[in-house]
Amino acid sequence: MSRLPPIIHADAPAERLAAVRMAIGMFSVIYLVSRIPVLLGLRDRVAEDFRGVGIFRWLDEPVPDWIVTFGVATAVGSGIGFIAGACFVVSGPVFAVTMLGLTTYRSSWGQLLHFENLMVIHLVILAVAASADAWSVDAHRRARHRTAGGTHVYSSPLRLVCIVVVISYVIAGFAKLRYGGLDWIFGDALRNHVAYSAARLELLGGTPSPLAEFAVRQAWMFPPMAAAAVVIELAAPIAMFGGWYRNTWVGAAWLMHLGIAVLMLVAFPYPLFLVAFAPFFPLEKIVDAPPLIRLRGVGAPRSPG
Amino acid sequence: MWSRSATAWRLGTIAVVGLLVMPVVIDRDSFPLSTYPMYSRARTAEVTIPSAIAIDDDGGEHRLGLQVIGASDDPLIVAGELRAAIARDRAADRCRSIAERVSPSLVAELDLIRIEVVMERHDAVAQVAGESSLLDRTVHATCAPEAAS
Repeated sequence: MSRLPPIIHADAPAERLAAVRMAIGMFSVIYLVSRIPVLLGLRDRVAEDFRGVGIFRWLDEPVPDWIVTFGVATAVGSGIGFIAGACFVVSGPVFAVTMLGLTTYRSSWGQLLHFENLMVIHLVILAVAASADAWSVDAHRRARHRTAGGTHVYSSPLRLVCIVVVISYVIAGFAKLRYGGLDWIFGDALRNHVAYSAARLELLGGTPSPLAEFAVRQAWMFPPMAAAAVVIELAAPIAMFGGWYRNTWVGAAWLMHLGIAVLMLVAFPYPLFLVAFAPFFPLEKIVDAPPLIRLRGVGAPRSPG
Repeated sequence: MWSRSATAWRLGTIAVVGLLVMPVVIDRDSFPLSTYPMYSRARTAEVTIPSAIAIDDDGGEHRLGLQVIGASDDPLIVAGELRAAIARDRAADRCRSIAERVSPSLVAELDLIRIEVVMERHDAVAQVAGESSLLDRTVHATCAPEAAS
């Protein structure tokens, strides 16, 4: 019997963790900026609609307006520091905490946004890791790596970031069996979810997916799609073995999100733009691609990947 | 720095895994630790959807847009927050907020006389197929649009 391949990131260089920091940081800042009107709009909400969740569960009423404004400004500023790896010992944790605060606060107004979970947890992990030891302003100033902790300093957080993705998908797959039972796979549940999403949009004055009506009429195709979704989610741990296992799972998971977006117009931007899956790959090697700008000049010489 | 210790990372990994699994064990969804319950129920074709409609002086119904109903482009947020407001007996406040967002020109153009915050029960499959789908409607609040008040 052939043995399973080793777990990914056994000997990750500093650049790999740095590349993940930059990818997730850039996505988060762009996402944050796109959400500024929504976040600032929370200041005008009726206080009675507020129900604190997560770290704000103890709050009985909304925070003062200036805290929201200050939080958004701080997040944008520290987010730029996070991407650049500038004063990372401060900018990293500040960005992670303000993003956790802002997203939790937004979710405290009646609707949890589950597609923000992974992003926020990733930011927290990257913020306490040595994510700015390469490809960063800090590294450029030091002009050498901080290698005091060994390669586990980069491997461990990368693996943890991947484990968080894996567990989230497994929980999502488990939830379908737990709350929906086998009927979720073999019944009309998925078809009804697609129909529900389209009906909800239409009744709220939006425009549903042009493919929704066609899809809903093809009832036969939903049980195989439902089975595939549950298998993909529960099979997430195989991505930790890298190579063909990882590529297959990431491809399948991405196609699943694409299908959800196309049929239901429910977009999970973090996985849809592949940012959620980026930590599974040796991202530092992307700079070896000829058309891209080489970043080797910033920071210390690269470790072998 | 604690993050440089291999032991700290092992303990941290165990702690994070424990935190991620905890909501599943206690079956309570929150943020950012979640049971990921979205779309996990074995939903039937019969669905209940909160919305807001505008009524003109002939009794005609007009659907309002996402931005007007919930000041957001995301139907998940608009529906979720409106549903929560109705559940918390805050439909009247929501109705007034919606009325403020209906443009006076639209009120004049369509002769709108009131806004209704409603909970509608539909056959979703029939609705998507363009067939008659409304099974039931409960009006939770009524208010006048700005220009008509």
